[in-house]
Amino acid sequence: MNAILESHGITKDFSGIRALNGVDINVGEGERVGLIGPNGAGKTTFFNCLLGILTPDAGTVQFRGNDISNLRVHKRARAGIGRTFQRIELFSDTSVREHLLIAERVHNGSGAFWKDLLGMGRPTAVEIERCDDVLELLGLRELGDEPIEALSLGQGRLVEVGRALMTEPRLLLLDEPSSGLDREETAALAATLREVQAEKGFAILLVEHDVELVSKFTERLYVLDFGSLIAQGPTAETLSDPAVRRAYLGTLEVDSEVGSD
Amino acid sequence: MILASFGEDLIRAILQGTPPGTVYALIGLGFVLTYKTSGVFNLAFGAQAYISAAMFFKARQDWEWGIVPALILSVFVLAPAIGLILERLIFRNLRTASAVSKLVIAIGLSVALPALFEIVADYKPVAGRSPTGIVPNGSSVFYDPLGVYPFSRDELAQIAVAVLGMLLLGAIFRFTAAGLAMRAVVESPRMTELAGIPADRISALAWAISSMFAGMAGVLIAPRLPTLISTDFFTLVIVAMAAAALGRLVSLPRALIGGLGLGWFIAIFRTFLPRWSDDYTWLEPFEDNLAPSLPFVVLFGVLVFWPAIRRSIDATDPLSGVDPPPPALASSTRHPLLTMQTRAFGVAFFLLVGWLAFFRADGRWVFLLTQAVILSIIYLSITVITGFAGQISLCQGAFAAIGGFTVFQMADRYDMSVLLAALIGAFIAALVGALLSLPVLRLGGVWLAIATLAFAFFFDAVMVQASWVGGGGTALLSGTEVPRPVLGPIDFGASDRTFLALAIVVFIIVAIGVIQLREGTIGRTLRALRGSEVAAESIGISPARARIIAFAVSAFIAGLGGALLSMQQKNVNYSTNFSPVAALFWLVLVVSLSARTVEGAGQAGFAFALFGPLILEGSLLEWLPFLNEDNLPSFFPISAKWRFVLFGLTAIQFARHPEGMLEFGKRRATHKRNERYYARDAARAAAAELAQ
Ligand SMILES: Nc1ncnc2c1ncn2[C@@H]1O[C@H](COP(=O)(O)OP(=O)(O)OP(=O)(O)O)[C@@H](O)[C@H]1O
Ligand SMILES: [Mg+2]
Repeated sequence: MNAILESHGITKDFSGIRALNGVDINVGEGERVGLIGPNGAGKTTFFNCLLGILTPDAGTVQFRGNDISNLRVHKRARAGIGRTFQRIELFSDTSVREHLLIAERVHNGSGAFWKDLLGMGRPTAVEIERCDDVLELLGLRELGDEPIEALSLGQGRLVEVGRALMTEPRLLLLDEPSSGLDREETAALAATLREVQAEKGFAILLVEHDVELVSKFTERLYVLDFGSLIAQGPTAETLSDPAVRRAYLGTLEVDSEVGSD
Repeated sequence: MILASFGEDLIRAILQGTPPGTVYALIGLGFVLTYKTSGVFNLAFGAQAYISAAMFFKARQDWEWGIVPALILSVFVLAPAIGLILERLIFRNLRTASAVSKLVIAIGLSVALPALFEIVADYKPVAGRSPTGIVPNGSSVFYDPLGVYPFSRDELAQIAVAVLGMLLLGAIFRFTAAGLAMRAVVESPRMTELAGIPADRISALAWAISSMFAGMAGVLIAPRLPTLISTDFFTLVIVAMAAAALGRLVSLPRALIGGLGLGWFIAIFRTFLPRWSDDYTWLEPFEDNLAPSLPFVVLFGVLVFWPAIRRSIDATDPLSGVDPPPPALASSTRHPLLTMQTRAFGVAFFLLVGWLAFFRADGRWVFLLTQAVILSIIYLSITVITGFAGQISLCQGAFAAIGGFTVFQMADRYDMSVLLAALIGAFIAALVGALLSLPVLRLGGVWLAIATLAFAFFFDAVMVQASWVGGGGTALLSGTEVPRPVLGPIDFGASDRTFLALAIVVFIIVAIGVIQLREGTIGRTLRALRGSEVAAESIGISPARARIIAFAVSAFIAGLGGALLSMQQKNVNYSTNFSPVAALFWLVLVVSLSARTVEGAGQAGFAFALFGPLILEGSLLEWLPFLNEDNLPSFFPISAKWRFVLFGLTAIQFARHPEGMLEFGKRRATHKRNERYYARDAARAAAAELAQ
């Protein structure tokens, strides 16, 4: 399979503490790959290094065959990487549809100053329709005019997905989409993501704690612990790897015991 | 031989720089202290220093008090009292507010406090009455311990008192429990979060001490000034911030060294620059102008060119990134009926004012109305940069002045058509804005505001003096004359009313442009960036591009407005219209009314121009049937200073209503009416259903 994303030796130190240690991964076209690891393993840091929000101390990122290591964040996004955030990041004071419209207009490259001045910067009917299509796909159609502050966390995560989809990404990075959601919401989100991915055919790199979601959703898995990859391979196989159980599932079992009290 | 004299000069410069340097260190320490304990960038420090200096001056010269009682009153009673009041009434309640809103409030205070003091204490700066120091015959008795530089007694007192102040602070830190806790908080911001540290008491203590330092610095520095004027003291804050920034805002000792170093640097620069400019003649024009602006240059340079300071900003700003989301604008949720009503009211109001202006008003009112409209144009520049882009720029006055000066220069030198010159001026302002935005944008937030302030002061101290900007000597003699435009058969100079019409047309064009921008892609982009920068970048928005455009557009609008204002007054009137302190007041006015709407800019323009004559001079009352000029209540005219006090104090509301007071009121009213209309709709629908 053709790799759409390849990282080579991504390393990142935070004032002496090694958060990432030579991480190599690759994601194929249209593939669904998981990245798991205990809290503080460096997953979010890795996403931020892929996107250029953080500058890695070493390592390169290749996207669709090009080295994007030196591009600015927005350039990487334009190259076709979309993402959602672990701690939800929405534009305050803006409606749901507006979120998608902003992404749509930016993606179209229709940000010329003089166009705005002449009143040609307002969204066209076609663009609004395209946004509504995506809202429909995500089951958010009715919420289009709601202010973002009125949404539940789960709906907010869907808006983030929708916003990313408007940029027609070839790769979507999802950072713990299930955190803060209950079981049902998680299942619904997974179903929606599946459907959308099937339709659009982009690749997904999913960071997740929810083992159930990971095992159902991903084909292949990377396991990160203290900044280093400790296992990789097909999902089911990797999840039963004893090293993974020790590093990761062990803590998770403790977690779920605490949670069920 | 040359070397020996070089060494001697160096020592002399260092000795000469020591007295002001110790005072700078004192105020720099105070600045870091309040910042680290309460997260406030206290721009009102200069105002506080001024108040103590003026109080001391008043007590000495008007009341003929002795030095000691005057000092006790001004520095040891009044100064800490003001600090404690500010802390208790304002900043204590704002601990979780964003750093930017605290800055806006401090700016408001820096405008309001001096005016309030001058009203309460009945103090007026009088030229020729020079302030004296805290020792008798301070300026006339000299000591020359090293045989290189004779210190005046005032200077020795400055050093002694400043050192004593620092020792006192050290003692408090070392020997008192509250001091220990305060030191812990200053050295590690995280400590504030730990239990067991009495945060309220510490921040109160820090405010008392730092305000006392500010007051002390004010009294000490006063003898260096020919006349006590509040604006001169504003530069003291800049010095304090430069010292604090040199100390990278992390520690008190470094701020101390920063302040001292700044004093030395300035003195050395002043000693040697004249010599270099003998050899390099191109330096000459800078010689006179650069020296007084050194603190601004240093502050700007440190912020922009020293990467370490940027990194430590991220690490030390206790509340960086905590910005509460602004609530939705009133107009986005309106019932159609309400929209219709507001529109009808707006149109009726403007028709009425327009009719009054064009057919009934006398020359004075036409002039004031024109000024209001032009100021509204300038304020639209704040709408763009602060309302849309969420950046506090404190150099809008400089941009406006660029417009005004360009018209003056073009008309004066080349006899150019003034309207064309105004456009050129606006473009130059836009260019300067764009260039300025490149280095300062990386700073963001509070530091961006401070860097623009430093630029405004730099422009004020250096650029305005240049003959190709402010006109130099000829402008001092004959004023910066600016003609009114002539467009084909219309001579806008012949009638003030036609010029008013021109101003209105320009306002409408600019307002439409601003609205187009807000509703267009760039406006959306800016809104996204304000909401979440990482998220905006993650969908492909370039923050730099969007903000450079916002800066350039804002500067363009300000430049255009500045050009118009100069045409209206037929003179640039730089120091009344566009000085850095005037621009501070603009910002306070616009953000405390409503920074994010075009109406807000208009209301601020009218408030600035008309509040004085209408309210303070009592014209509004005169229009009542039973009152006229002669039987107004005796407290009219009210001092014009109340304008500064009132608007400065409304800025305090900024943390609670970042959308602005007017916008807040509008939103509440809209909400109520909306509810009522929707309830009525619902009731009707229910009735209709019943009837079926
Ligand atoms: N900006 C930063 N400065 C210093 N250390 C950081 C920073 N960001 C992350 N770290 C540290 O790097 C390590 C990895 O953090 P990261 O957020 O990437 O973990 P994660 O795998 O996403 O964890 P979680 O499951 O909790 O989201 C942690 O030890 C964290 O404390
Ligand atoms: Mg994470």
